[in-house]
Amino acid sequence: MNKNYHISFFRPTTDRATKNRNMVLWLIGIWAIAIFGFHILMRVIEKPVPEPQLITFNEVWNDVKEGNAEDAALLKFANSTLHVAGKVFISTEHRAALDNGITWATFQLADSAQQAALLIALRDFEKAEAEAGAVTDADYISAKLKLGGLAQTILKLQPDEILAKILPLELKSSGIEALSNENKEIIETCMPFYTIHNRSVLTDTTFLGFPFHYFYSAVFLLILFIGLCWTYCYNVDQYNKKLGIEE
Amino acid sequence: MYAANAATELEGGFKTGPAIILISILCVFVMVGILFRAKDTNDYYAAGRSISRTGSGMAIASNWMSAASFLGMAALMYGSGYHGLAYVVGWTGGYVLLLILMAGQIRKYGKYTAADFIGDRYYSQGLRATGAIIAILISISYCVGQFAGIGLMFKWILGLDYMWAVMIGGAVVLTYTLISGMLGVTKNMQIQYVIIIISFLIPLFLLTYKFDYFWILPQIGYGSVVTDITNGIPSAEISQLVNAVGHDYAIAASPEFSMPWDPATGKTFFQWMAIAFSLMIGTAGLPHVIQRFYVVPKASDARWSVVWGLFFICILYWSAPVYSAFGKILSANPEIGKLSKDAIVVYTAQLGDIHPLIVGLLAAGGVSAAFSTVSGLLVAGASAFSHDLYVKVINPNSSPKKQLLMARIGTISMAIIVTMIAMLELGLIGQLVAVAFSLAGCTIFPLFLLGIWWSGSNRQGAIAGLIVGGIISIVSITYFVAGKQGVTLPFHGFISYYLEAWYFAWIGAPLAILANIIVSKLTPETPEEIRKFLIEKVHS
Repeated sequence: MNKNYHISFFRPTTDRATKNRNMVLWLIGIWAIAIFGFHILMRVIEKPVPEPQLITFNEVWNDVKEGNAEDAALLKFANSTLHVAGKVFISTEHRAALDNGITWATFQLADSAQQAALLIALRDFEKAEAEAGAVTDADYISAKLKLGGLAQTILKLQPDEILAKILPLELKSSGIEALSNENKEIIETCMPFYTIHNRSVLTDTTFLGFPFHYFYSAVFLLILFIGLCWTYCYNVDQYNKKLGIEE
Repeated sequence: MYAANAATELEGGFKTGPAIILISILCVFVMVGILFRAKDTNDYYAAGRSISRTGSGMAIASNWMSAASFLGMAALMYGSGYHGLAYVVGWTGGYVLLLILMAGQIRKYGKYTAADFIGDRYYSQGLRATGAIIAILISISYCVGQFAGIGLMFKWILGLDYMWAVMIGGAVVLTYTLISGMLGVTKNMQIQYVIIIISFLIPLFLLTYKFDYFWILPQIGYGSVVTDITNGIPSAEISQLVNAVGHDYAIAASPEFSMPWDPATGKTFFQWMAIAFSLMIGTAGLPHVIQRFYVVPKASDARWSVVWGLFFICILYWSAPVYSAFGKILSANPEIGKLSKDAIVVYTAQLGDIHPLIVGLLAAGGVSAAFSTVSGLLVAGASAFSHDLYVKVINPNSSPKKQLLMARIGTISMAIIVTMIAMLELGLIGQLVAVAFSLAGCTIFPLFLLGIWWSGSNRQGAIAGLIVGGIISIVSITYFVAGKQGVTLPFHGFISYYLEAWYFAWIGAPLAILANIIVSKLTPETPEEIRKFLIEKVHS
């Protein structure tokens, strides 16, 4: 027995305390490496990887910005920005700027007959949108399909493509005339923001259907935590039993 | 934003089926509370120390699985993708620390409350009172998030105004906490756990089955959902699958959902690590979690109850990301509009066209999760008020009857304060709850860690540690509140990033521990009777 009654985790005075300290250090070591070590490793080996849409966008952006873009470039611009507008994380401000770009490019690509039809369809859709009580409203759906049909032809999209489905929702009559300088700046900034991702072998390997790193954090670490807790309790019980200690 | 959007339709008005389910569940809670009501002070505080390991584990899980877990977890991942997993890891990994560093020793110390431990271990009535006040503040902060969750679900089910929903929900949870005390609460918690987990899991099986994933184990089957979000789902491929408003089950490629610290989410590597660490040490410092260890018969039961508790908790935590992943795809169409993140669990089930009664059960499960936590928090807060402040500091000669009365007054006072703050709608559920974790991590955790494991930690060291942890907490919370009010303070960007309200413990806790050690080394050592007690009783 410690006669001075001093106790310190790092300076155990009995065999039992020493064993406990060693076990705690092992378990905390595994715990820390599993959580923080893995994420530091992920951080170290990751590379910023752009999506194909950003590469396409960068190819044509200067011409679009300067007003020198030909139809092929405008088409690439519209499709790449539409892809970003359809993403799951996008701010309202960025979406508004992208909508301006998509609308403007779509009208630029349309011939005069298409432009007239598109304008009527867009105004009808915006009217239906304002009046509709629900997205299942028949007039609203009809106006949306009509606008979508016209616009997807201009942007050469297949009708059942995901981008074709969201296209009419991104067209705004306020953005027909020009792509504003303010929105040009926003688009230039936000395209890389949404299309460059931190990737590595840990994120690109698939395991049980998951990206590996996602499986590791969402599933495996929790199993590990239970395992660590079980190991500790089992060992403490076994040791107490061996020494005949009844708590 | 689109004038026609599905968000308003999903909210709807009064829902009869879900309302009946909710009211039935609440009636069961109150009945159980009455059947197992507290008979004396010992029952009220510590359930007569008669709860089994699995029972206590279930109660720990139920107590833990709050609105933040049930509703807020999926909301965080829905809103910030992989970053949300820092909360999953933080809120589970902390149990490893809690177990191997504290659980058995806390039970051996044999006190009722966290403040009781602090007062005795650091031989100071002032620290006991401070500990009680901190415990009350943590409980209030934690409760506010729960009341917000209750308000949100009552609003959805009953079609009530948020204010009324909070008031009614608060009144019900207060009633049965008062009637039952902790004995009833513990029994309630076991029932609540079963309701919570069943209501949470059923929609997952249905969603994975309906959208053609591996439905036998949705917690694994949704891996393909995450990969589908990353790579995109072209509409044409699965055009027969639609959500409740007729949108294709399709999504544009969105790697930002699953990739780590993606710029599109606005979150960084540092924030991921800081949140995970702060939540973990906060877990090991929360008074209402620590207090669960007083209700088991012996130290080994306290340890095993953590293992069981963590297992029961993980069942929910493995499942919560499934909702966020399905929620992303089912709400991907811009027509859905802006959904309240904190209700995404319920919206996902609705958008997946799950039967309304099952969605109702899910919402009732959310209420149940909030109730179970609130009841534990109210007991912990009331204990701090009556036991630690009134009995130990103000009126040591009070009768058991008077003590019970004070506990009930404390419970009522806390419920009223929490209801009033919850009505202000200060932030998301997860945000409000995370503040409580950082506060606990900066204040209670260092006192327990050093108090148990180092006899050299003395009263002066404890005071120094509390001052450091307290200052960091106050600075962080001040900047948080100022930011919410639109006020910009000096170094606002720097402080708000490095000491954000939900992870300031990443630096606060280590500094508080350091201050405690340095000052303890420079001042007279801990009295022999305390050291003797530690070595003979706590570490024997």
